Amino acid sequence: MVAILTVNPYKNALKPGKSGIVSQFSDDQLGSKLLTMGVLPGSQVEIVREAPFGGGVVIKVDNNYLALRKQEAECILLK
Amino acid sequence: MYSSQVNVQIFNKKQGQFIFAVVGNPNSGKSTVFNKLTGLRQKIGNFPGVTVEKKLGKVHLTEKQEATLIDFPGTYSFYPTSQDERIVLQAFINPQDENYPDAVIYVADVNRLEKHLLLFTQIKDLGLPMILALNMSDQAEKEGLEIDADYLASQLEVPVIEVSGRTGQGMESLKREMQTILLTSKNKQLPNKSFYPLSKEEEQIAHKIAKIIPVHTNFQAVLIAHHYQRLPFLHEIQRISIQETLDKSEFVSLRQQVEETMIRFDTFTPIVRKAFKNTKPTRSTFTGKLDAILTHRIGGPLIFVALMTLVFQAIFAWATYPMDWIESIFIEAGGWVKYVLGSGWLSSLIADGILAGLGGVLVFIPQIAILFFIISILEELGYMARAAFIFDRIMQFFGMNGRSVVALISGGACAIPAIMSTRTIGNWKERLITIMVTPLISCSARIPVYIVLIAFVVPSEAMGGWGQGLAMMGLYLLGIVVALLSALVFKYILKSREHSFLMLELPEYRAPMLRNVGLTVWEKVKSFVTEAGKIIIVISIILWALSSFAPPGQMVKAETAAKAVALEQELDYAATQDLIAAQKMEASYAGILGKAIEPAIKPLGFDWKIGIALITSFAAREVFVGTMATIYSIGSVNDESSIRERMAKERNPVTGKPVYTLATALSLLVFYVFAMQCMSTLAVVKRETNSWKWPIIQFAFMSGLAYLSSLLVYQILA
Repeated sequence: MVAILTVNPYKNALKPGKSGIVSQFSDDQLGSKLLTMGVLPGSQVEIVREAPFGGGVVIKVDNNYLALRKQEAECILLK
Repeated sequence: MYSSQVNVQIFNKKQGQFIFAVVGNPNSGKSTVFNKLTGLRQKIGNFPGVTVEKKLGKVHLTEKQEATLIDFPGTYSFYPTSQDERIVLQAFINPQDENYPDAVIYVADVNRLEKHLLLFTQIKDLGLPMILALNMSDQAEKEGLEIDADYLASQLEVPVIEVSGRTGQGMESLKREMQTILLTSKNKQLPNKSFYPLSKEEEQIAHKIAKIIPVHTNFQAVLIAHHYQRLPFLHEIQRISIQETLDKSEFVSLRQQVEETMIRFDTFTPIVRKAFKNTKPTRSTFTGKLDAILTHRIGGPLIFVALMTLVFQAIFAWATYPMDWIESIFIEAGGWVKYVLGSGWLSSLIADGILAGLGGVLVFIPQIAILFFIISILEELGYMARAAFIFDRIMQFFGMNGRSVVALISGGACAIPAIMSTRTIGNWKERLITIMVTPLISCSARIPVYIVLIAFVVPSEAMGGWGQGLAMMGLYLLGIVVALLSALVFKYILKSREHSFLMLELPEYRAPMLRNVGLTVWEKVKSFVTEAGKIIIVISIILWALSSFAPPGQMVKAETAAKAVALEQELDYAATQDLIAAQKMEASYAGILGKAIEPAIKPLGFDWKIGIALITSFAAREVFVGTMATIYSIGSVNDESSIRERMAKERNPVTGKPVYTLATALSLLVFYVFAMQCMSTLAVVKRETNSWKWPIIQFAFMSGLAYLSSLLVYQILA
């Protein structure tokens, strides 16, 4: 299991295009909110784009596009 | 157990209203459906205790039958993460709540149905009669998406109607279905199918909670178990009993919530998949391409800046034409009143108090209308969600929201529409900080004050003629920097129970619906005029009274004295009138107040004449210039350069030195950068925060900031 995104201050670990199947969440609070928005275990996710100023990311879940902060995206663990 | 339900029915019947709640996820087009059903028969208010906008509307189902609609904020589930979402929970969990509906119209985007039914199943499990409105069916049709509505209806056990808020398609069927529910809901029964079978443990808890507080479904009891700490309708005793019950069990709210959400999705996802006769088309490449440009790392912010320049130009420059018309109409009207009624106090009250106040309210309409016209077009397009995403990180640092950028930039033209635009910020703390610091951004009303005073600080030939322009820019920068720093301070002072999220859906770009845009503009203007307007007129009348009245006999004395001086100096008519006005101003209560505060403002380098101007310009900053003109008895001239000349001549009666030294002028400038010298802004803050607490805090902190900075400037330079 790997995080979809890891924030490493020394190296930009973010790769648009990275994708996988959601397995679970490393943070219950963020995870529960992501669930209500349709990011479910078993969903196909992909990082589509990074925000300017090193802000958040846009992820594609099934056919839906979500804007997330990096620490929000970080809690999504892939299979 | 059902008694509460019966009471609600009676209560609603008493008012002759059957209430339909319009509910759905954000971006489901819920408001478009609401607007289509109700048209202009809308009323705007607040949900109790908070300032989440509540839209009430009336719909004619038949010629005789009318029903009330409440448009609830877009929500994903009964596990709220923002104030907006909490409203829905609080209204639905308590049958005694004034917003508790008799039935629910659930609006879902048919193109994203798989993600839009979570809240539907939760509401269904509360046992409310529902209609599922599949919105945007026109678009689905165009893209060749076919759905089996009958199958959905049989599986979800509700009527399913395909509608389009855009074209109006399906609205008649929706109304017919509403009519049916209205007639049959009396013999309401509990739902047959539950989308979420409670676990053994939850069932036990639900049973125990039902003994503490009457509930009509088990799911309602479970929701109470999740949220009892933040439900205002529970009594303290009930809260303690629930706490004790839960302590004895192993109920972990967050875990339970995750579990429930996943089971619900597992239940309805297969139903939705089966209901579609063909596979869904993927998102249009148009949106993807546009996003690649609009949220580009460099291009995105640049395009945003260009758009905001347009917004700024529109409210800063274009709005001045209608504003000038409104102003001149009220000046004309005031003159006419004085002509008809003579020069008594009544005509002065009408002309200088009421009409001036009314003009002071209406003059903001162009700016409000223009800003919301542009903003709601951008919102309808789907662009605002992208802007919030782009600026989230920066604004987050200052305790604000990506959407705050729009308010801060608009604040450069006028704080009033800017503060009204913060309604779209879901997180209360982020919204409050934005409201608190926006008036620190220099608005257009400060410009006349800056222009008059800068000349004392920077000679016009300084730095090859660029000096004054740079000074002006410096004042703007000062405002921006201090606004951001204050935001940082508020970020650490204000406590919030709400977690801050970005988690934002980026909807597909859509052509804006002018009907929705028009309604938004109309609502914003209307609510400003009717709500903030009252406060502004009252303050305007108070300020008028302060400068028109004096202790008994003083006004006559002032006038006689002025006439004697005029006669002695052989002044012409205009100069005599100016002198009388100046003497009267000095004798008035405003004059007395100005003199009274002189000891307090002396350390800032201000005399009592400036004191009077500070008091009267509370109406609006630009009044400062007019008051200075009156005090220096050049009221009939009243243009910036003659006032400046007159001010330059002003000498201190004791020392004989000029009053407007570099130190005084700079101190006064700094004062106007920071001081909350605008009653209209305070009135809007009162409305937007729904309490006097925040405008008072804002007034105190900005005045304190202004006082201390002016003190510092004057004491260092003088």
